[in-house]
Amino acid sequence: MIRRKLSLAAAVVTVSALTLTACSGSEEPAADLTSVSIMAPFLEAQPPSADGAVQKKLEELTGKDVNITWTPNSSYEDKTNITLAGSDIPQIMVIQGKTPGFVKNAEAGAFWDLTDKLDKYPNLKTTFPEIQENASINGKVYGVYRGRAPMRAAVMFRQDWLDKLGLQPPKTTEDLYKVAKAFTEQDPDGNGQDDTWGITIPKWGALGTNSPYDLIEEWYGAGNRWTEKDGKLIPSFETEEFLEANRFVKKMVDEKLINPDFATFDGTKWNEPFFNGKGGIIVDVDSRVSVLINLFKQADPANFENKVGFVGNLVGPDGELHAHPTDGYSGFLAIPKAKVRTEAELDKVLEFLNTMNGKDVATLLNNGIEGVNFTVEDGKAATIKPETPEGKAVSTDIKSYAQLGMNVAGNNFYPVKQASDYEQQVFDKRTEVMAEDLKSAVYNPAAPYVSATYVAKGAQLDNIVADARIKYLAGQIDEQGLKDAIKLWDTSGGNKVKEEINKLWQDNK
Amino acid sequence: MAAPVVEAEASGRAATRPPARERKNGRFSVHFAHYKWLYLLLLPGVLYFAVFRYGPMYGVSIAFKDYVPFLGVNGSQWVGTQHFEDFFSNPDFPRLLGNTLILAFLNLGIAFPLTIVLALLLNEVRLSILKRTVQTLVYIPHFLSWTIVASLSFLLFALDIGPLFQFLNGVMGTNIDFLSDPAWFRPLIVLQEIWKNTGWGTIIFLAALATVDQDQYEAAIIDGAGRFRRVWHITLPGIRSTIIVMLILAIGQMLNTGFEQIYLMTNALNRDVADVFDTYVYFVGITQGAYSYSTAVGLFKSLVGLVLIFGTNWLAKRFNQSGLF
Repeated sequence: MIRRKLSLAAAVVTVSALTLTACSGSEEPAADLTSVSIMAPFLEAQPPSADGAVQKKLEELTGKDVNITWTPNSSYEDKTNITLAGSDIPQIMVIQGKTPGFVKNAEAGAFWDLTDKLDKYPNLKTTFPEIQENASINGKVYGVYRGRAPMRAAVMFRQDWLDKLGLQPPKTTEDLYKVAKAFTEQDPDGNGQDDTWGITIPKWGALGTNSPYDLIEEWYGAGNRWTEKDGKLIPSFETEEFLEANRFVKKMVDEKLINPDFATFDGTKWNEPFFNGKGGIIVDVDSRVSVLINLFKQADPANFENKVGFVGNLVGPDGELHAHPTDGYSGFLAIPKAKVRTEAELDKVLEFLNTMNGKDVATLLNNGIEGVNFTVEDGKAATIKPETPEGKAVSTDIKSYAQLGMNVAGNNFYPVKQASDYEQQVFDKRTEVMAEDLKSAVYNPAAPYVSATYVAKGAQLDNIVADARIKYLAGQIDEQGLKDAIKLWDTSGGNKVKEEINKLWQDNK
Repeated sequence: MAAPVVEAEASGRAATRPPARERKNGRFSVHFAHYKWLYLLLLPGVLYFAVFRYGPMYGVSIAFKDYVPFLGVNGSQWVGTQHFEDFFSNPDFPRLLGNTLILAFLNLGIAFPLTIVLALLLNEVRLSILKRTVQTLVYIPHFLSWTIVASLSFLLFALDIGPLFQFLNGVMGTNIDFLSDPAWFRPLIVLQEIWKNTGWGTIIFLAALATVDQDQYEAAIIDGAGRFRRVWHITLPGIRSTIIVMLILAIGQMLNTGFEQIYLMTNALNRDVADVFDTYVYFVGITQGAYSYSTAVGLFKSLVGLVLIFGTNWLAKRFNQSGLF
């Protein structure tokens, strides 16, 4: 009796354990694709509703049931790995970047290699092959990249301060120093107190993340992450220009032209000193210009113009413009082999993505529904005012749906019309400045290459130099200490990274 | 419907004197039949541990594999103890171990006794309403998340404008940025720990203090013992076993230095003293996708924790105290 009872208990344990793991079972591939499942991140507070107007319109335009699993951005990478390890895999997964986790999965064969396939689909054939190359893993394209503006670097400053002190907008890094010094020492807010500084920099140390330090280094000619020297690729921090640029930043720190708590200052409060009239300069992406203008507009709608000025990339001490581009993409839409099993199915999924990237769907994902939340004026999408509840729902939803946009052949939708003439002018000037800077862009020559050693311990390695950079600027170590840290990068595995990157670079030349 | 038959069979067997081995089983069966409802009560607990605690331990095997999520736990390659070798030969290892141990001992050496001191102080408060109010007030910080504690610290110690920054630097005549100065990282962490958890930790000691025999105090008062004498000779021996049990538990948790707290307080300037096993596992495992490696590090940490628990328990018994088990 006991034995039976015990075995019953054991059986219960086993069965309940099995039901937890045994939801698997292969599904028969559908002959024709009637529904498409997508996993995508959402960055808003709430995911869009599954029966919203945008969802309905999307299904109408593509002719498929589109099941989107919206996953919070903060836990997206974990969820990606869990999804891949499980059995309920979607047909399309938004992958946010070449993270070590993704690279390992891709190299183990988790995703379709699309290198020779995308050109067959008119809307998936990229007009920027170098960006597609950047998004590849050593030349192998594992997804349709999500295009982003390749040029975004800008210097923003308090225009009213500049006018008051009778200064010109900076053109060179030397000008930046002069403006920062004037903002610090000449009482630009006119309150008679020594309570202002030049540039505000938040806690943002990591290498190669388009931080203010990265931008200034690039302007000095250190290159973009990697640079070619004597026929070899070296990390930009092993150049003389890197040291020069950091000497320049250190000079500004020492003369108190930069906020003294730059190593700990909370990045989410970055706009506050600018808005409150403490620190007059921010070096960041140009879209922050609009954010800053909006702050002034909310505080004083009648009198917000000419508070925020900006210029693009700055000319370095060598008299040349080395503009800092981004990688031009933000992750990609990859297709897992575990779900899409045959070439024929893959073709169907790619056709679906082709439709997604066409003008109709791209407009839906990025602008919304014409007549509901926007109208077209002079080729621009103008938000319908006053907003109707339906219009507002669409405008909110597309903030998430835009995550599915690829735009590999340029933006296939309407540019957004700005709220006022002044803002439109600023926006047009931004577009113009960025287009001009793009001509002088210095790209990262190693962007497409993924070195095995770097995947295994790149983040630890880079931290050595990133921390040393901040310590040097804060005066904890001297220049020799910074050089020692760079040597430590080499000996801790960096030499191997260099070797691998150079081999990949030579092989793909 | 099979059960009665089985029972009949079992009782029949018991009647015909089975051999010794069977008889032992038989006794257990009687025991089991007698307490079957209690065993049924036990079942959910056993199931819970089997499914949610022991089942997942299977995943620890990835510490010995080169885990790739796509290939799954079973499909990934075995690599033996390679991850452990990598970890121990890593130049980060001595630093991590040092930082973890220093923080652990600071917490144990400062925060733990303070809990007992606070409990003793509360116990000496005569006015019941004052005692209850203070108790409630000191519990509150425990319910704030580390994010809030860190934000409060950032505000209080903010460079140039934080009230504590101004006060402390004013008193010491210095100009220290507490948030980025590596020398101040550990004091700050211990201070936060004390502020947040000391009050909460007193609960168990207060409960133990309530059990101390009141007659002994009266006798001591008659013998002319002062307050400190009473605390030293009656109160402390009275809660000694509780202190030892709590100490063993605290030592077992010692290496869990608190990921959130340290992660939030770390920056480029203090990372050298701030990195501990927990933050390292997060940094390497989650942000770099090195799941196997970080599992190996986590496993090592757990083993050290286990050794510490057994070690302390053994020591406690050795010194003639009751241990935990």
